[in-house]
Parts: sequence; C-alpha cells; structure tokens
Amino acid sequence: MRKTRLTALFAVLLLAVVSVVAIGCGGGSDSTTGGGSETSAGGGGEPLTVGSDIPYPPFEQGKSGNYTGFDIELMEAIAEKIGRTAEFQDTSFETIFRDVAQGKFEAVISAATITEEREQAVDFSNPYYLSEQAVLVKEGSDVKSLEDLEGKTVAVQQGTTGQELAKEELGGSEIRPYPEGPDAVNALKAGTVEGVIIDAPVAQNAVEKSGGVEIAEKVPTEEEYGIAVAQGETELLEEINQGLKEVQDDGTYKTIYEKWFHLEPPKAIFGATHEAE
Amino acid sequence: MSEFFHQYFDFNYMGEHFWEVLEAFLQNLLIFVVVAALALTWGLILALLRQLPGKKFMPVRFFTIAYIDLFRAIPILIVILLISGGIPFLEFIPKDIRIPHWFGKPDPFWYGTAALMLVYGAFTAEVYRAGIEAVPGGQMEAARSLGMSHWQAMRHVVVPQAVTLIPAPMLNEMISLLKDSTLVSVIAFAESVLISRELLAESFNSSALLLTGVFFIVIILPLARIVDKLIARNQGKITRGSHIEVA
Repeated sequence: MRKTRLTALFAVLLLAVVSVVAIGCGGGSDSTTGGGSETSAGGGGEPLTVGSDIPYPPFEQGKSGNYTGFDIELMEAIAEKIGRTAEFQDTSFETIFRDVAQGKFEAVISAATITEEREQAVDFSNPYYLSEQAVLVKEGSDVKSLEDLEGKTVAVQQGTTGQELAKEELGGSEIRPYPEGPDAVNALKAGTVEGVIIDAPVAQNAVEKSGGVEIAEKVPTEEEYGIAVAQGETELLEEINQGLKEVQDDGTYKTIYEKWFHLEPPKAIFGATHEAE
Repeated sequence: MSEFFHQYFDFNYMGEHFWEVLEAFLQNLLIFVVVAALALTWGLILALLRQLPGKKFMPVRFFTIAYIDLFRAIPILIVILLISGGIPFLEFIPKDIRIPHWFGKPDPFWYGTAALMLVYGAFTAEVYRAGIEAVPGGQMEAARSLGMSHWQAMRHVVVPQAVTLIPAPMLNEMISLLKDSTLVSVIAFAESVLISRELLAESFNSSALLLTGVFFIVIILPLARIVDKLIARNQGKITRGSHIEVA
C-alpha cells in the first residue's frame, strides 16, 4: 500500500514537472512568434498598421518579420499606391474588429467576409476577393455543372460553404460530409462519389497536385472579402478603395491572384463596389 | 461556466434534435449487429484454424497467428481508411463488390463493417482461444480415445465447454465494438457522431454530442452489469470446484 502511494506521488510530481516545462516552452515560442510588428520593403512614407490573423494560408502565412500570402501582398501593393508602407500585426480573429475600431491598428485584412453584423462595428472597403465554390469531378466525367450532380452521390467537407451549397441546390443527392477536403477528393478518385463541392483554391490545388480530376464548374457564392477600417475613417477608406482600383487596373492584382491561387481572378471582382453604411 | 453549460447541456437543443440523433444512433446499432454476427463467426473460424494439430497444418497455424497479431496491432481507424480508400481502386474486382450498395446501404457502411469485422475477428479469436485452452486437455484426449476425429472432438466436446467460459470477456469485446462503430464517421457514413458534428457545425452547439454519449451509456451500462454477473457466476462455479459444465 505504502509503495503504491509513493509511486502515485512520484507519478503526479513527474506529471507536474512535465506540464510546467511544456507550458513554459509554449509560452516562450508564443512570445517569439506573436505580438511583433514588422515593416515591409517598398512604399515609404508613414507606416500603415494592418491587423491580420496569421496563419490562414494561402491568404496569410509565414513567420513574424516575413509574412506573406495573398492578403499580405495585396495590402503591400495597395499601401504602395497610397504612398505608405504596410506594417502587419498578427492578432486573433475574434477580437480583430474590436481592435481596429479602437484604433489598435488602422486597417484589417484577414480573409474577412463582409457581413451586416461586422458592418455595425467597422467600415469595409470594396470587395477584394470573391469566394467561389468549385464542382470537382473525375477527368472525362459526364458531369459538367452543379445541376448535373442532382440525384448523384456528392462529397463535401464538413461545416463548409460547399456543404451548405450542396444542401440547398442538390435536394435529391446523397451528400457525404468528410472531415477533411482531401478525404473528399480521395473518395472522388476512388469512384465512390461522382462530384466534390469545395472552395475553388482547394479544388485547383487538387487538380494540380493529385491529377485525374478536373473542375467542371465554378459557382460564385455570396461571400465577399473586404478590408476593414474604423468607422468614420472615410479618408483612409477612400484611399484604400482607390489603391485597390489602381492595383486591379495595372495588372498587379491579377499577378498576385494567380501567384497564390493558380487561377484567373473572376471577372466580377474588377470594379466590384460595396457601399459603406 | 454558463457558456460551458449552454454549449454541452442545452436540454432544449437536445429535445429539438432528439429523433434525428436517435435515428443516427440506430445506424450505430445496425453496424454493431452486422459486425457482431460476422466477427463472432470469423473469430471462431480463426480460433479453430489456430488449434489444428500436426505438422501438416503448420502453415495454416502460422498464417492464422500472423493475421491475428497483425489485426490486433493495427489501429482500427487505419484499417477503415485503408479499406475505404483502397478497395475501390482494385479494378479487377467487379464494381458491385468493389463499391457495394447492398441492401440499400451506401458503400461507407460496408467498408466500415468489413474493417470492423477484420479487426474484431482477430480479437474474438483470442477470446475463443482462451476458452478452448481453459478446457482441460483430458477432455480432448478422452474424446480422441473414444475414436472421435480432432474436428469431431472440437465440435462436440471442447467448443461447447469453451463457449460457456467466455461470455464475460466476449461481452466486453462487444461493448468496445459498439463504441468503435462511431469510427465509421471518418468515411462519411451518417451515424450518430457524424450527425452530432453536423449539428455542431450548423449551430455551434455541442449538446447533440452529449446526447449521443447518453444513448451509448443507456445501452452499455446494463451490458456492463451483465458482465459483472457472469464473472461472479463463473467464479462461483470455480470455488465449488466444478467449473466444467457437462456438455
């Protein structure tokens, strides 16, 4: 009895030591990756502080001091047009709109969908990205569009826009929600499902990396991503909209888009407007 | 704290989705019933193959033991993923077998039951083996000396005694099989865990998961009590000095 108690005590102590060490290490690495702000090259002038929840590839990724991604490069290009230098701060998405409203940073670019709820707290720029869903099928399949999947077995990723779209549009189909996107693509290749409805960049990635599958149709959704600023910052918002228009007009936007998504940008994004409330 | 209760113990939410989750739980029971029938048979076959005597059957014993070891060692999740991801690519198999839709059930159901049967066949084989080896050797010897073949002795003397010794450990295997039926959710078969997670994705409320847990408890707790009773009964027999029942 005494021996087992001692063993138990020893085990508890060991566990305590291990967890303290683990927590310590976690905290340490946190302080090196988070919190830091950085200045990117180019532009000049007064820095423009931008909040973003990193990582969220391919929109934002990389380590502190070397952030990259679609959002990051686009924001750097826009800042350059308005004569400023983008300076990024990694922050948590839950508090990002509150923080920009309180002036912790001047703008937010973080793959953020423009919603009415968020517009109560911040003002959004014109949309800079339209979220699209893709219908992914086997190469040479008869399925040419979303409607062709009606009544067939369709794979989606659980909890995504693609699943919602499938539920709305394909009432007579068997919809199989897989935990991860690649599982759904694998089911397609195996022939157990006849189509996959998933985010267009993910579908494109599957076409390039896995092969044997192709995109039958791309379906635009209601989701538009915007850059957020604090309410009342009308001047900054106009500058950002102007900058966005310029990078779209001179081809920079297309270059960045193709670099990160390996797709042509949808035509609807050029000159898309959004009225701030 | 109240957020925690709202997240997991929202009884209104459970009430609203009770039938939906119950219906999905019935799919778990269906997987269980199908796999239990198959695995109990397959396990007995494996156990008998393992007991085959003589030099002639050495390769059979070797492969049976290799099979049992392999499927007891490999995680069920991996077996499920390999079968559902691998079998459909084997184009020499006819499509109706490669991508089965038997009895109106979709192919993930059959991949899941096949994987569970392969694994639980190995586990139940070990339980049968324990039972067979617990029957005193004299029983086999006596049967053989009466002129029975190895197979007849197994069939009429050893196995009938063995199965009376193993209900408790076998029931334990069945309890864990029922719980493992939830693993089939990873290949998108709409059983209770998958449906609960669907509801979570829709409403950001986890109460359906807890409700699913309750269904499992309701079924499994009585089974666990039965296991206890069976163990007590067996021990009673042993202390009376006659743990061998007359077949």
